Amino acid sequence: MGSRNTKILIALIALCVVGGGAYIAVAALSPNETSTNAAPVAAGDSDARVMVRAVDPEDTRLNGRVFVVEDGKVTTRSGKDLTCERVYYAAGKGLCLGVASSGVEYTGTTFNSKLQPQHTFTLTGLPSRARVSADGKYGAMTVFVAGDSYRGASAAFSTRTFMIEMASGKTIGQLEQYEVIKEGEPFEAVDFNFWGITFDPTDSNRFYATLGTGTHHYLVEGEISTQKLTVLRDGVECPSLSPDGKQIAFKSRIEGTDSWRLKVLDVATLKDHPVAEKRSIDDQVEWLDDHTLVYSNGTNVYAVPADGSGQVQLLIKDASSPVRIEAGEEL
Amino acid sequence: MYQVEASKALLKPRLWFRRPESLRVSRNVIMLGFTSMLTDISSEMVATILPIYLVFSLGASPLALGAIDGTYGGAAAVVQVLAGFTSDRFRRHKQVAEAGYGISAVGKMALVAAGNSIGGIGAIVAFDRIGKGIRTAPRDALISLSSTKDNLATSFGVHRALDSAGAFLGPLAAFGILLAAPARFDAVFFVSTLFAFLGLAVLVLTVHGKPWRAPREGKPLSLRKAFGLVKDPRFALLLAAAGVLSLTSVSDALIYVGLQRKIDFDPAVFPLLYVVTAVAFMALAIPVGRLADRIGRVPVLLTGFALLFVCYGALMLNSLNYVGLVLVLLALGAYFACSEGVLTAIAGAALPDDLQASGIGMLITVVSVGNLVSSIAFGALWVTVGLQHAVIVFAIGLAVALAVAAPLLVRSQRSALHG
Repeated sequence: MGSRNTKILIALIALCVVGGGAYIAVAALSPNETSTNAAPVAAGDSDARVMVRAVDPEDTRLNGRVFVVEDGKVTTRSGKDLTCERVYYAAGKGLCLGVASSGVEYTGTTFNSKLQPQHTFTLTGLPSRARVSADGKYGAMTVFVAGDSYRGASAAFSTRTFMIEMASGKTIGQLEQYEVIKEGEPFEAVDFNFWGITFDPTDSNRFYATLGTGTHHYLVEGEISTQKLTVLRDGVECPSLSPDGKQIAFKSRIEGTDSWRLKVLDVATLKDHPVAEKRSIDDQVEWLDDHTLVYSNGTNVYAVPADGSGQVQLLIKDASSPVRIEAGEEL
Repeated sequence: MYQVEASKALLKPRLWFRRPESLRVSRNVIMLGFTSMLTDISSEMVATILPIYLVFSLGASPLALGAIDGTYGGAAAVVQVLAGFTSDRFRRHKQVAEAGYGISAVGKMALVAAGNSIGGIGAIVAFDRIGKGIRTAPRDALISLSSTKDNLATSFGVHRALDSAGAFLGPLAAFGILLAAPARFDAVFFVSTLFAFLGLAVLVLTVHGKPWRAPREGKPLSLRKAFGLVKDPRFALLLAAAGVLSLTSVSDALIYVGLQRKIDFDPAVFPLLYVVTAVAFMALAIPVGRLADRIGRVPVLLTGFALLFVCYGALMLNSLNYVGLVLVLLALGAYFACSEGVLTAIAGAALPDDLQASGIGMLITVVSVGNLVSSIAFGALWVTVGLQHAVIVFAIGLAVALAVAAPLLVRSQRSALHG
């Protein structure tokens, strides 16, 4: 190798350092925002009390602030320090998941009844579902983890579902480590994915969730104290228990597609029926009361009766991740 | 310069204990190592942020990510063998490797220019993988041809250490840029492109395309002669040994998933598993290569695969603490250091000079097909009999594979000496 080539290489390296450095410096002066100041708009004449996160219709990927909508009006909103993609709240304890301002990490934040952040922790992937038990003791969340490419060992997309103690923000368990029982036998597979925890409103130690493996999407019933999951039936995704704990609203996949219909099943019999919503909905539904479902689709929040009657009603525009706020909650 | 060094090494007496200088690697190998390091920094920068970029900036469903990951699939295997044969046939290892690195670099540039559709990004990822498939065999052949038969494993160790340093530095660079310039993914793509072209520039400007062992004359290689390699006992026995060993080794991705089910660790710790393994691999690659050149490559290779028993053992335990976890990860890193590079060095020593790239291409393909089958089989066993029993089956399989591979490798080495 001649010294001419060495000189060319050194010149190229210098050029790259200068060019790359300049690009980064310019980019650092005009970073992209990861959250929006958009606000939701109450629609329809509902007297429901709902917490949502705002969706910017111009740029739906951005984190939105947390708002409370009641009696058709927006009453409370969070500061700049609490913006999320997914939110949940119960018994004075809130959970907010969203992209970090770096744009490359995701964070979870617990917050109090004044919508002030309490604990912050890093999430291992893209937030998908969030829940807080009715007594405010536990929080649960599902994140999407993309395949890792290290040494070409690429895994397809997978989910992680884990629980935290709301008071401390500490992780207390991960469904991937729970023992699974199906028809009385231990059940395991490499492609297990768990998502969509819903807590029993009367006993926060108990919950339901979805276990995906192969083409199956099982409804599982779990217990935090024993770290056990029991398979109940197939074809149930993103379960959500009604306030009285008697019914579960869920997403029912149209076979072989990534489209879903909303259905409601009876916990005692495990039999289900569809609701009046005919569009494909990809959300973990929430209950406004024991008879009404509320959920987001696109950039809006809708409500529909749980018994299959009636029709879909637009509730709030430019919002998603609706949460029922009990009458007694002070916000 | 390296020619002088290499011939000096040849003149050294063949003693069991050699002075360390005799194991110095040629400048060509180091430059190829830097090429790989820069290219890997470039690739890993993109790989680290691509999922979040697709979902956050483009609004892709995470489900689409799996599809993008699967696009390259089997194409790589065919490309490896063809690229290997082409570079041997025309004695153009460097040019074929340049084409491979060049394709990936152009792909990165395309990401900067038009990275706004999922299909486009899928195509670019596939492009990158094809580039990788093209360059691997001719690059490894160049490493081999730039080495003496005495320092082959050291050469591959040096190259793999630099290569894995890139895999480690890439994510750091990506996070660093996004820390300085929040959510400016374009800055990451831009810098990644610069690294890719710098890697290519190091190859073009500093790597000698005709190292001292490279064949210069003779008839162009025929396809028949290349595939005749599988009838050559030296190489056939090696291929068979590599095949059985890869069939019974569980991929690191599956080991991580298994460990995750066993150990109650914070989900945030998960990415650290890769880091610990990568650092162990990086640190051990060179010393292990030197050791292999001194005491013999076959014993080191077999020891490397035997280290997998540590990982299998951990997967059979009911619980594991953090100390145990770190030990498993160190064993995994040591396994990487003792296996792939050393195996390629053994192949480099067994293959005739005019068939280096073809042979290495075939070897990589056999190993990757073996790994694919092993992953599918392990997953199927996990479903039917559970993780514990799947691991037991693979541990027994590995023991049998070691017992089968050891005599095959020894016989291959003997034929290499006498044939």
